[in-house]
Amino acid sequence: MLPSLALEAEGTMTEYKGRHTTPSDRPPDDLKKERDAFIQQFFRKGAQFTEELLRENERLRERVGELETENRRLRAHLASDEAIRDLLRKIEELETEKVELVHRSVRAEAVKENYGAQYSEVESELAHFANLYVATTQLHAARSVRGVLRALKEMLAQLLGAAAFAVYFASDDGSELIAITSEGVESAEVARHPMGKGDLIGRAFATGEVIFSAGQGLSRELAAALPPSRDLTKASIDDPAAVIPLQIDGRVIGVIAIFGTLPQKTEFVHIDQELFKLLGAQAAPALVNARLFTDAGRKVPGIQAFLDLED
Amino acid sequence: MAEYSCLIVEDSPMMRQLLVFALARVKNLRVTEADDGVDGLRKLASTKYDVIITDINMPIMDGLKLVKRVRSDPVHKDTPIIIITTEGSQEDRQRALQLGANAYITKPIQAPQVIAKVKELLKIE
Repeated sequence: MLPSLALEAEGTMTEYKGRHTTPSDRPPDDLKKERDAFIQQFFRKGAQFTEELLRENERLRERVGELETENRRLRAHLASDEAIRDLLRKIEELETEKVELVHRSVRAEAVKENYGAQYSEVESELAHFANLYVATTQLHAARSVRGVLRALKEMLAQLLGAAAFAVYFASDDGSELIAITSEGVESAEVARHPMGKGDLIGRAFATGEVIFSAGQGLSRELAAALPPSRDLTKASIDDPAAVIPLQIDGRVIGVIAIFGTLPQKTEFVHIDQELFKLLGAQAAPALVNARLFTDAGRKVPGIQAFLDLED
Repeated sequence: MAEYSCLIVEDSPMMRQLLVFALARVKNLRVTEADDGVDGLRKLASTKYDVIITDINMPIMDGLKLVKRVRSDPVHKDTPIIIITTEGSQEDRQRALQLGANAYITKPIQAPQVIAKVKELLKIE
């Protein structure tokens, strides 16, 4: 811009010079000086103005550059903010998902525990049923009194953990109970037990109820007379751990008295009560049947005996 | 098809029946019964079992002697043995374990306990 302005200024001066070439038009020297000074000042101002413009232009270019940089930075920042917002949103979603999964996991754990407990319970029940089944089978599979008593002893020792016990039958006159077998105690000590003593053996025989140390199976009056629970290992002949009445046809014909248990058998549990009931109901018929079968010469009655149902 | 085999050495028919009942719930386990230690050794002479369960108090040959014989036999020396007995004292337990028994269960036995012990020794899930 400066050269063209200079040319333009020069051209103007030429025209001016050309116009005043005639002597008549020649300007006076002072005017010429003034004109030259004006022209010089004009050019100087023009140059100065041009420089200022150039500087301003440069400054603006720089400013544009700065703004572009700032713009880029802001755009990047904005993009970054958006990314952070996305991430935060994602984190929030994942947190929600995590909470849901934790809840599900807790629920699944509870269900699993419940199934585990139920499974253990079923396992335990199955084992109990197996015990009861085996006990019944063994009792009724024996065809002699000796065989039934052996099975009875095994049941008491193996299933109930009894270490000392006696099996009593009532004497013919009903005045006393007579031990038909015993284990873990001196036979002479438990051979006979008079009726009407009012002790646990007598009471079990009289009431037909299973009596054992924790007091279950007792009438309220009798239960109140006993301590609420007791260590079974402290049982003795005078203070049995349990007494089971033996019944047949609704009549009590004897009892099983448990005088002591194995060291590791410190309490009777639910299955023991079931076994007590089973023994009470099954032992006497098994013994009587074995006796009758032996007395009959181990002969099975003829078919007519099963067709005549007058009993 | 049985993958595992178990020998029960027990003189009490009732205990044998209980053990057989309990072990029937272990999948793929074939159970063989022996009346006493001698009968057990007779069965071990012809078959190799994956686990042996034996009572201690038995006529003719008790369980502790059986354990000793089994452990001295190169064929069966590594077979896991579970002792079942009415004796609950620490001394009996120690004696059986010193002779080479792997586990000890006291009577009255609990079926789940026997099942768990057999599974543990056979490494069954």
